[in-house]
Amino acid sequence: MPELTLKGFSAGYPGRAAAVSDVDFTLRSGEIWGLLGPNGAGKSTLLKGIMGFPWLWSSGAVLVDGMPMKRLTGLERASLVGYLPQEPPVPQGMNVRETVLLGRHPFRSPWSTDSAQDREVSLKVMEQCEILHLADRLVSNLSGGEKRLVFLASVLTQKPSVLLLDEPGGGLDYRHTAMLWEILEGLAGEGVSVFASTHGLSMSGEHFSGALLLSGGRCIASGTPGEVFSPELMSRVYGIPLSVTHDGGTGGWLVTAGRPR
Amino acid sequence: MNVLRRLLLLLLLGVLVSAVTGPMGPDAPLGVVLSLRLSRTALAVLAGASLAVAGAVLQSVLRNVLATPYTLGVSAGAGVTAGAVILFSAGLSGYWAGLAGTAGALVATALVASLAGRGRSDGSTLILAGVTVNVLGASLLLLMEYLSPASRLMEIVRWMMGDLAAAGYSRVFFLLPFSVLGMLLILTRTGTLNQMLAGEELAETRGVNTRRERAVMLTASAILAGGTVGAVGPVGFVGLVVPHILRRIAGGDCRKLVPLSALGGAVLLVWSDILSRVAVSPGELPIGIITALVGGPYFLRLLAGSRSGTDLTD
Repeated sequence: MPELTLKGFSAGYPGRAAAVSDVDFTLRSGEIWGLLGPNGAGKSTLLKGIMGFPWLWSSGAVLVDGMPMKRLTGLERASLVGYLPQEPPVPQGMNVRETVLLGRHPFRSPWSTDSAQDREVSLKVMEQCEILHLADRLVSNLSGGEKRLVFLASVLTQKPSVLLLDEPGGGLDYRHTAMLWEILEGLAGEGVSVFASTHGLSMSGEHFSGALLLSGGRCIASGTPGEVFSPELMSRVYGIPLSVTHDGGTGGWLVTAGRPR
Repeated sequence: MNVLRRLLLLLLLGVLVSAVTGPMGPDAPLGVVLSLRLSRTALAVLAGASLAVAGAVLQSVLRNVLATPYTLGVSAGAGVTAGAVILFSAGLSGYWAGLAGTAGALVATALVASLAGRGRSDGSTLILAGVTVNVLGASLLLLMEYLSPASRLMEIVRWMMGDLAAAGYSRVFFLLPFSVLGMLLILTRTGTLNQMLAGEELAETRGVNTRRERAVMLTASAILAGGTVGAVGPVGFVGLVVPHILRRIAGGDCRKLVPLSALGGAVLLVWSDILSRVAVSPGELPIGIITALVGGPYFLRLLAGSRSGTDLTD
């Protein structure tokens, strides 16, 4: 199973200064890392930059299993790394099943119909993401949280070894957030590596093997949750007094604004 | 598939009705049927299919259901060059006006694409550039019409209305290579078109070279629409209405939508052609007027519906 390594990685939009600078980071097989930071810290740009989108510039190295990502063909990259954008456009006129099946594109010719295997994989993922009952509904008619699950499912049908997720829990209720992290834990157990940006630490923190804290495009801290989630560090980065408590029983993290009374 | 069968049936019926419709009615000699009526039916099939496919492709690539084959400035470019040929070269109209129209359409598309930039320009930038080029072209055409002697003015106006009137098979053979090339380029990448519909970020992550594919798809649409404009003039609304209706019936999966649009466009234009022959028989109406009369009200309904935000993306 591949590991993802960033060395001195910077990225940004053409004609503008770097949105993220000089990030060093290694994501090993089976690990789930959280990507944290205030709004505008560069979390999304970091994930997009790792994907190597041609409309961004980047410098430094992104290695997948020691191989520079830039040297991989589009299809090789697609079978190794999956990416969930924060707000992907809704494919007009497509239902949930069709949208989820879009993730199988790398495995077939550009015009062929869905194979039995494509359908089997997508069915399993839809079941796992609890959207099977929505299969024939138009994606445009779903709620924000339901759409999120559909796009997550379409990324999972791609069966990548590395998952880069931008706010995967955005718009999800408690039950579905718990389900999301359960799915990701399951995948990590199979050796998949996950790098997910999030603001919702209280539902996700317990699942992290590590966390990377960004502020102003720079990596402020990276390490185990215990090292990164210190009240002083978090308060400084987010610019508001935060109290961070760790529940030893559940392993969960609770972040609240304001110092403990 | 139900929709497919219905469209095939409608097309077959259209071809049969077309064969017996005309000033001489069903008693026309076989020669007239074969050389005049079936040639224009063949032209209607090719033109309708090409326009509807170009529309389906542009609506998907630009993720905007209001995109039409003319969004890229095709009709304006064609109008200017065909108008210039009619105005400045006596006796050279017809075939040459068509050829000039196609050339103008392709140049206008290239201009729109370069105005919109080579980067990851979103659909709206391209549509705005297309609207601007269309307005510029329309103004140039108006200027030419203003400067034209009355006889030429009539010819330009008539050309802009679009027509399928009898010219044997020459216009069919003119359009055929454009249609075949454009269709081949599109039909071999309908799955990729689906990816573009889901946004360029997700498309890239699934191995699609979005810049290259977008360029190929826009070029293919320009070839289809430009060839059609050269052959039959700027016939409107087919490329807007057909993919839109079929998307509602059969869904947005381009692997189905594109071939169905080809059939649907052919059906619409074959039947519009029949209507153009019987509406003021023994005379006939230009086909562009018929499609605009069908498409106009539909377009207004589309606009009214989109206010609720349910019909538009981006």
